[in-house]
Amino acid sequence: MSHIHIPDGILPLWLVALGWVIIVGWIALATKMASAEELRRRVPLVGAMAALMLVGMTTEIIPIAYHVNLTVLAGILLGPWLSVITALVVNVMLALVGHGGTTVIGLNSVVIALEMVVGWALFGQLVRLLGRRRAGMSAAIATVLALALSTTLLVAIVAAGGAPATGRESGAFDPTTLSFHNPFGGGVVANVIATKEQPAAVPVLSVTRFATMVYALGSIGWLLEALIIAQIVGFIARVRPGLVFEGAPAQPVRAPLGDEGVHH
Amino acid sequence: MDISLVDRAATTGVSALHRTAPAAKLAATALVLGAVIVSTNVLVVATIAMGLFSVVLGQRLKWLPLLVLSLYPGIFAALYAFAAWTGGLWASLIVFKAVTSALAVLLLMFTTPYPQVFAPIQRLMPAVIGDSLLMTYRSLFLLLEKFSHTLTAARLRAGVVGVNPIKSAATVTRSLGGVLLYSIDLSQRTHDIMHLRGYDGRLVVSPMPSASVGVDRFVVVLAAAVAAFALAWRIWFPVLNPYAWLPLAASAAVLVIVAAARLLKGDSA
Repeated sequence: MSHIHIPDGILPLWLVALGWVIIVGWIALATKMASAEELRRRVPLVGAMAALMLVGMTTEIIPIAYHVNLTVLAGILLGPWLSVITALVVNVMLALVGHGGTTVIGLNSVVIALEMVVGWALFGQLVRLLGRRRAGMSAAIATVLALALSTTLLVAIVAAGGAPATGRESGAFDPTTLSFHNPFGGGVVANVIATKEQPAAVPVLSVTRFATMVYALGSIGWLLEALIIAQIVGFIARVRPGLVFEGAPAQPVRAPLGDEGVHH
Repeated sequence: MDISLVDRAATTGVSALHRTAPAAKLAATALVLGAVIVSTNVLVVATIAMGLFSVVLGQRLKWLPLLVLSLYPGIFAALYAFAAWTGGLWASLIVFKAVTSALAVLLLMFTTPYPQVFAPIQRLMPAVIGDSLLMTYRSLFLLLEKFSHTLTAARLRAGVVGVNPIKSAATVTRSLGGVLLYSIDLSQRTHDIMHLRGYDGRLVVSPMPSASVGVDRFVVVLAAAVAAFALAWRIWFPVLNPYAWLPLAASAAVLVIVAAARLLKGDSA
C-alpha cells in the first residue's frame, strides 16, 4: 500500500473541513490557470486518466494483493493543474465504492494531489539532471519520493487530528455508562462491561506507532509502484516521448475531420 | 475493488430502492452518514450497520460483494485504532464507524447508477469536475474491457505466470502501458465526438423520475429517524447508554428474520 484512504468518522470535524477548504481553493486556482476553452478540451483527457488510475486500482498483483495507483504517472502526464482536478475526481469515484470516506474526500484529494504534483515536479527536475534516456529511473525516484511525502502528509493529518474525536469531544464514550441494563426488570441482563471502579480511558494517539505501521507497509508499496511506473514511463518514452517529456496537455488536440481551420 | 460489479448491480437491479428517486436516496445516505459520524457508542453504530444490512438483504441485493467492499475501510480504521489503542470497545467503535459509513454509501451505489449520483454533484461543483466525473465513468468501462483483453493477451504471450509476483507485475505493467496509450487516443476520439455534438462546457444528466413519491418520502423519513436516534444517544448518553443493547437486539432480530426469509426463498449471495 502506498497511500491509505482515510475513512469517515475518525478525524475531527475541523480537520475534515480544512481538507475541503484546501482542495476547493486548489481546484479554483487550477481552473483559473487554464482557460475555459482549454478545460473543455481537456475534460476527456482528465476522464481517461482518472479512469486509468481506477483501472490500476482494480488490478491486483498476484499473490501479494498489491494494487498499483498510477498517481505519479498520471501527474507526469497531466501536469500540476489537471492533476488536482483528477485527484478529486478519482477520490469521489473511490469514495462511492467505499474506498475511503465520503466526508474526507477533501483530505484524501489533498494527499493524492500532492503525490501527483510532487511526482510531476520531481520527474521534470530529474530528467533534466539524468537525461531523457534515463526517464524510467527518473520516474522511479520521483515515485518513491512523492509517495514517501504523501505518506508523511497522511501521518501529519492523523497526528493533527490528535486524540480521536469521538473520545475527546463529548466524553460520550465513557465505558462506565456503557452497560447492559434491563429497563423492564431487576437486571435480567446486567452484564456490565465496565464498572465504576474502572476509570474511563482517554484515547491517546500514538503517532509513532501509527507512523511505524504506515511506513513499514507503505515502503514495500513505494518500491513496487516505482518499479511499475519506471517500466511504463520507459516504454512511453520510447514510443511517444512527447507524452512523457512535454505532458499530455501539451499535445495538440486535432480538429475533427472536416473541421480543420475552423476556429472555436 | 470491482467497479463494474457495482455498476451492473445499480443498472440491472429491480428492487424498490432501485426505483426510488436518486435525490431521496442521496438525502437518506447523507442522514445515515451523519448518524454514524455523531455516534460515540459502538452498539448504536452496530445497530445502524445491522439495519443497513437488513435493507440489503430485504431488497435482495448482492450482499456478499457489498459486504466485502464495505469491510475495506475497516483496514485503515484498524490501523488507526491500533495506534490509539485504549481497549477493544473503543477500537471496535472506530472500525464499525468506517465500515458502517461505507455500507451506507455502497447501498446507494448498488441501487443508483453513477450518472444519477453525479447529477446533483454537478450542480454543486464547477462544470469541469462534474463533466470529468461523467467522462471518467464513460472511459472506465471501456478501459476495463481493453485492459482485460490486453492482460489476457500478455499472459498468453508470457506463458504460465503462476504466482510469481515479478512475472505477474511485468505482465500487468506491459498491459497498463498499452492501455495508457489507448486511453490517450480514446480521450482524443471522445473530444472529437463531444465537439461534433456541440459540447459547450457542461454535460447534462436528466434526473431519473420517481416511481413512487410515497416510497421516496418513506426512505427519507426512515433515514431521518436513524439520524434522530443517533443524535439522541449522543446528547443523552448518560441516561441512554445502559440501554444501548435494546435497539441492537431489535436490529439483530430484524436481520435474522430478513436473512431467514431470503434463505427460504433460495436467494444466493
